[in-house]
Amino acid sequence: MSSTRMGTRTRSWFPVFRMEEKIQLKNFLGDTGSIDLQIRLVAGKAGLDKEIRVGDINRPGLTLAGFYDFFAYDRIQIFGLGECAYLRQLTQEKKREVLEKFFSYNVLCCIFTTDEEPDRFFIDYANKKEVPVFVTKKDTTKFTSSLIYLLNEALAPSVSIHGTFVDVYGVGVLLIGKSGVGKSECALELVERGHRFIADDVVIVKRVDESILMGSGSSLLKYHMEIRGLGIINVSDIFGIRSIKNRERVELVVVMEEWEKNKQYDRLGLEEQVYTILEINIPNIVIPVRPGRNIPIIVETAALNQRLKRLGVYSARELDKNIQESLKRRDAGE
Amino acid sequence: MTEREVVVKSNAGVHARPAMMIVREAMKYPCEVKLIKDNIEADCKSIMSVLGLAIISGTKLIVRADGEGESNVVESIVAMIENNFRSNEESA
Repeated sequence: MSSTRMGTRTRSWFPVFRMEEKIQLKNFLGDTGSIDLQIRLVAGKAGLDKEIRVGDINRPGLTLAGFYDFFAYDRIQIFGLGECAYLRQLTQEKKREVLEKFFSYNVLCCIFTTDEEPDRFFIDYANKKEVPVFVTKKDTTKFTSSLIYLLNEALAPSVSIHGTFVDVYGVGVLLIGKSGVGKSECALELVERGHRFIADDVVIVKRVDESILMGSGSSLLKYHMEIRGLGIINVSDIFGIRSIKNRERVELVVVMEEWEKNKQYDRLGLEEQVYTILEINIPNIVIPVRPGRNIPIIVETAALNQRLKRLGVYSARELDKNIQESLKRRDAGE
Repeated sequence: MTEREVVVKSNAGVHARPAMMIVREAMKYPCEVKLIKDNIEADCKSIMSVLGLAIISGTKLIVRADGEGESNVVESIVAMIENNFRSNEESA
């Protein structure tokens, strides 16, 4: 709960659930893995259950040369051409000494790039210490950048939010509100109007970057939706492939709530409200729901307005500016 | 806040029908009701959320409620799971 908090208006009843997913080294391997790095295991199979906690990497060049201060042994160790060339030119005696010291740390795993194979010594130490060793065909820079990208995405903090997620004119709109307020019906109407459905009820939101939240559905519930009175339907089967999307950036949070007579709703839109998910502020609007109000068209307009704001066009502010200027002119002129 | 631990014993796990029973029960109460499996929480008032937990036989669950009627709802959902989702008439 703590990771989500409202900006200006406080409301605490939207269930937001923290997700905890473990990423283990075995996820790197094609058959079991969710992180496809196209690498093969050459040693240290016993250590595959080890967990990856940080998405950072380390080039152990300095370490191998004897400088052990700041040795980030709990990161993924990347052996590129340089490290391999260094190890190759060592005498057997020296190499044993270097590897003895290196493997005396609790090294997470080693990855050799550019199809460099570690030698017998290295493999023996890795097997003994249960340190998985992988080899990739890719060159160091390309491999490292895709590794960091995939790791960051896999390790990104995420929450599961009770809401409905729809792509409206390319803007990811997250609809939230109490159960029974009509989120799913609104999404259905939006799909009918040509927008794309992403997830209902369980929306998994990941912070993939310092400012970007990506939302998707749970893989188990894919494209299914519960409509009271109809039961569970499959949006993809009923409306076809053009009505669905896998994931989208969360750009607008629409809170749907029952109309309260005495509550003051935003009539101008001069100030931007925000909804905070995983410490990122997302523009937020609150739509009061009342029989006879066409909610989908309001959501559509809100999405388009959001796109305008992204381009720097703020309708309410512009109108306000025009009026103020006109008032000033009249004051001075007439 | 009230919570209780329970192990699902019904062979088929929590598929659509048992999920519906849990949701129906939870909807009777105004409080917030959660089902927790391995640190993943689901909203008991949403059928998709409960189905999304993929609860199989042998899964250890925590039923947690917070608000008005919390002890009653936890009690009745735990009883339902312990009875393997048989309705009261059948189990009697």
